[in-house]
Amino acid sequence: MAGSGKVHMRNTGNTVLSVEDLVVEFALSKKIAVQAVSGISFDLIQGETLSIVGESGCGKSTLGKAILSLLPVTSGSVMFAGSDMTKIDKEAVRNLRPQMQMIFQDPISSLDPRYTVRQLVSEPLEIWSRGSAEEQSVKVDELLNSVGIDPAIAGDRKAYEFSGGQCQRISIARSLALEPKLLICDEPVSALDVSIQAQILNLLQDMKERYGLTMVFISHDLSVVKAVSTRILVMYLGKVCEIATPDSLYDSPKHHYTYALVSSVPIPDPSKKVSRVILEGEPPSPVDPPSGCRFRTRCPAATELCATEEPQLRDMGGGNYVACHHPRD
Amino acid sequence: MKFKQLGIFSKASVIWLCLVIFMVVFGQWIPLPQPTNFDIDAMGVGLFDSLKHPLGTDSNGYDLLSNVILGARPSMLISLISVGIGGLIGSTLGIISAYKRGKLDYVVNTLFNIVLSVPALVLGLALVAVLATNPDPNIEVPTSRRVVVIILSLTIVIIPVLGRIARGATLSWSNREFVVAARSMGMKDSQIIMKHIVPNVLPAIYAVAFLAIGVVIVVEGSLSLLGVGIVDGVSWGSMIARVRGDLEYAPHSMIVPVVVLALTVIACNQLGDVLRSQLDSREGRL
Repeated sequence: MAGSGKVHMRNTGNTVLSVEDLVVEFALSKKIAVQAVSGISFDLIQGETLSIVGESGCGKSTLGKAILSLLPVTSGSVMFAGSDMTKIDKEAVRNLRPQMQMIFQDPISSLDPRYTVRQLVSEPLEIWSRGSAEEQSVKVDELLNSVGIDPAIAGDRKAYEFSGGQCQRISIARSLALEPKLLICDEPVSALDVSIQAQILNLLQDMKERYGLTMVFISHDLSVVKAVSTRILVMYLGKVCEIATPDSLYDSPKHHYTYALVSSVPIPDPSKKVSRVILEGEPPSPVDPPSGCRFRTRCPAATELCATEEPQLRDMGGGNYVACHHPRD
Repeated sequence: MKFKQLGIFSKASVIWLCLVIFMVVFGQWIPLPQPTNFDIDAMGVGLFDSLKHPLGTDSNGYDLLSNVILGARPSMLISLISVGIGGLIGSTLGIISAYKRGKLDYVVNTLFNIVLSVPALVLGLALVAVLATNPDPNIEVPTSRRVVVIILSLTIVIIPVLGRIARGATLSWSNREFVVAARSMGMKDSQIIMKHIVPNVLPAIYAVAFLAIGVVIVVEGSLSLLGVGIVDGVSWGSMIARVRGDLEYAPHSMIVPVVVLALTVIACNQLGDVLRSQLDSREGRL
């Protein structure tokens, strides 16, 4: 599954974000570098939600940060609003930032404990001098109301006085203050209780409709992404395994890794017998990834071919693209 | 944190430091005998033996109380100035290098380590020997020049101490998601440092700076004891230095300045600890 290739890219007129052959390397020493993201391509059409799933350490969060130029990109391109984020200078990137915002995994750590909720939410407005002080204050109240936080009660308290779910609401309000086009959610619910997860997911859906957002939703939890995604991209060790619509991904996963992931989703019904595919072994070290298909060391269908040749993404029909030499039927 | 909530030791520390500050600010207006007035009628007066000299006198007949009160200003000012300037330079270097990382961080950190590896006393002695001595031994080096050199050497000692604290705290705070969030909102690095890094790093610096004040008072005293401090002037360190030969027949003349020095250092340490535990509890809430 080491998929490279771009057959899944669509050339429509209203592409918001287009990532091609993105590589992000971290130097471990002068000689050794780890490729956290190695040659990922995808595009995102206005109003879509692309979910990126994969196990811990597969490069999901790195990918999210690289898209926003929060990390140095080794090679590849990130086209957003008509410019390649990886080629333009720092100030030009900064000027694009209001159009792309991010929500982080740890809601409490993403809010500075020294500031009040009102100060935190108005911060982006102040950076970009949007409106007068009164206009900003009206906007902050409106944002807080829209995420279900009462500005009269909560506005002047500090962020650490709130629970994780409330903090996540506050950071959603903050990220929407500049009315971005693109919102990248990096595991926005994985630090929250299951009951709160649903609330936050609903809130994100509401906000998406209200503000016409295009979203990238990063998660390790397939049951979470099912409800929110237009397309799902499955990653393994920095490569794409499969890109598909949620229905086709859940009903007929083509990649053996996706199949194992989907079968691991718990079904809250004790009467149902589930057949689980348990993957053997640990993911290989990204410092020294396997040759050919990166998943072959744990794949039940691996052959000689998988070790020598890297599979390219191919169209399996029904909006399903898979990078595998021996896809499932 | 309110004064009432403090423990008994911390309360005592606050009171003692207030007293010291009072001595520093108003000492010169308190009607006292001249601190270096050679009183031939009252040499080696014991503790509480005389109304005229409540804390007694040393073997020169110098009044210990007036030395303690008037010595507070040079001692405290030397340590406050050197911790202040050294802390400012050190934290600025530490915060910027830790935030920027890379080569700058490597260079700054190496410099910190080099300075830290030189013992404070050796550095002080060396600097005084080079900068505050006169080739002609008959010409006295003015005390003011010595004071400047002592402040300079103590500042150099403090820079890496507080610099490393600032660097460490910045390294941990700048990895927080709110700093990444601020960048993703388009905040400039200088704004991020001023709005999000400095306010969070400051408590750690304050806490260690308090401890450092205590250490610096002791180092200044040690320099005096070694004869390179403000020997002929009035300071707590020079009091100790002056009577170091008299321990046998006038022990109180040594005990008085040592106790004053020790109380001040302990009070600074105590308040530094209180500040640090305050910092920890707020960390625990995160």
